[in-house]
Amino acid sequence: MGAATTASTVDGTVGGRTIAERVLTRRNGLKIASLLVVFSMWELWGRANPFFASYPTAIAEAASRILFPEVLPAFLTTLWALTVGMVLAIPIGMAFGFGLARFRLLEVALLPYMNAIYATPRIALIPILVLWLGIAFELRVTIVILGAVFPIIINTYSGAKHMDSEMIDTGRAFMASERQLLKTIIIPATAPFVFAGIRIGLGRGVSGVIVAEMTAALTGIGRILISHAKYLQIAEVFVGIMLLGLFSLVLMGGLVRAQRRLTPWDDAERAR
Amino acid sequence: MLEIQHLNKTFSTAAGNRVLDDFDLTMRPGEFVSLIGPSGCGKTTALRIVAGLLEQSSGTVVVDGKPSNGPSRDKAIVFQHFNLLPWRTAIDNVAYGLELHGIPKAQRMETAREYLDLVGLTASASKYPAELSGGMRQRIGIARALAIHPKLLLMDEPFGALDALTREHLQGQLARICVERNLTTLFVTHSIDEAIYLSDRVVVMGVQPGRIIAEFKVTMPKPRGEYNFRAEPEYASVREEIWRLLEQQIMRAERVA
Repeated sequence: MGAATTASTVDGTVGGRTIAERVLTRRNGLKIASLLVVFSMWELWGRANPFFASYPTAIAEAASRILFPEVLPAFLTTLWALTVGMVLAIPIGMAFGFGLARFRLLEVALLPYMNAIYATPRIALIPILVLWLGIAFELRVTIVILGAVFPIIINTYSGAKHMDSEMIDTGRAFMASERQLLKTIIIPATAPFVFAGIRIGLGRGVSGVIVAEMTAALTGIGRILISHAKYLQIAEVFVGIMLLGLFSLVLMGGLVRAQRRLTPWDDAERAR
Repeated sequence: MLEIQHLNKTFSTAAGNRVLDDFDLTMRPGEFVSLIGPSGCGKTTALRIVAGLLEQSSGTVVVDGKPSNGPSRDKAIVFQHFNLLPWRTAIDNVAYGLELHGIPKAQRMETAREYLDLVGLTASASKYPAELSGGMRQRIGIARALAIHPKLLLMDEPFGALDALTREHLQGQLARICVERNLTTLFVTHSIDEAIYLSDRVVVMGVQPGRIIAEFKVTMPKPRGEYNFRAEPEYASVREEIWRLLEQQIMRAERVA
């Protein structure tokens, strides 16, 4: 505190530079400037096309009306399905990924299906899933799992499969049991791949749950988007979209932070 | 300490390619033996069989009176490319073998610190391998191997991936440690100078098939880094003889290839 006060002088300069200079030369400053420019242009363009488009001030006004009574509860509904789906998809995906890499029989028998399903749009499955599961919670959780589990499987599998055989030899030379090999070599070596899989899976999980909500379940954020779009309430639709965007930003930031914590060596490795 | 008899290794891939032909070697405790030879002479194959990382086609390996099939606690290996675990700090890498053997944490950390100190890396204990130089990484590789108190130390061209100055420095360190600790060491190299610097015996191997063609005793006092061993007449004569043999083998390999 004291240091900051003495460092800034009366004419608004800090360390010989004006405050505006300091803000702009920093990364955060650049981000704020970028936001200002993008939002101003959006505002101008939106006001010129008021019927089909919307603009930041209108969205803010809509948010003040519907954010707490309508959008946040819907968001929590969506978030709950997404969380349950991801919590199931991550261990299932890792188990299958390691299993496929470790056991030749599983690999030969199952890998073609994995690749086929991975490339198939899950949206195509929604009509059948509705027949099987109805349109309730289970449907949305299933869609999240189907979206997230395959990237996790495929990434875990390729990470574990294409491991440096010298690493395995090192473990064996120092008398690692199969279990110790898995714990001390295979899992840590695969962790960055698992994270990459989770990142892709999470993106697919979010889009899956929204589509399920829009087309079949008619609940959560998906319903907000559909129901307001029907009445051309574009600003209200954008409240939902922007909340999703913000959520994704927070989610990915959290994931990067978790990855740094859990695989601290990976940063050093990349910097090399 | 180590008795290898009639060791053969044939890789089934290239039809009947004999990489190791009737390899015999006996080492007494405290002895430092180098295997030297051109690429493809089977020196690394022999070392990996002794380490238990590769299975022989026939023949026996006996360590300390017990038949050795597969890895065991009696043997520790130092790899050419260090093979440190990137997700472990220096000290956790040194403690790796002890951890696998179920040594309690406090005890293995104490031992690891002792060996990190032996190779002069106490200050880097909590660094990851990616943050260390090649020479430092291999010193950790050596500390990791010594920390399990092996009866037999196996080294597969441990300084082959290092620059010349670092190499010379580590050779001196290893020479000193081996003498101080009376280690029994089987060392693979393709540097004649390195073999003479460190060994009591240099075993020269030939190609096609990979086999032992000659053996030289080196009698200069150890550790040899403490005086100018390269000025000794023994150095010059042994070096000259080994080089002649190896040159023949290299030409032979080129003719057949």
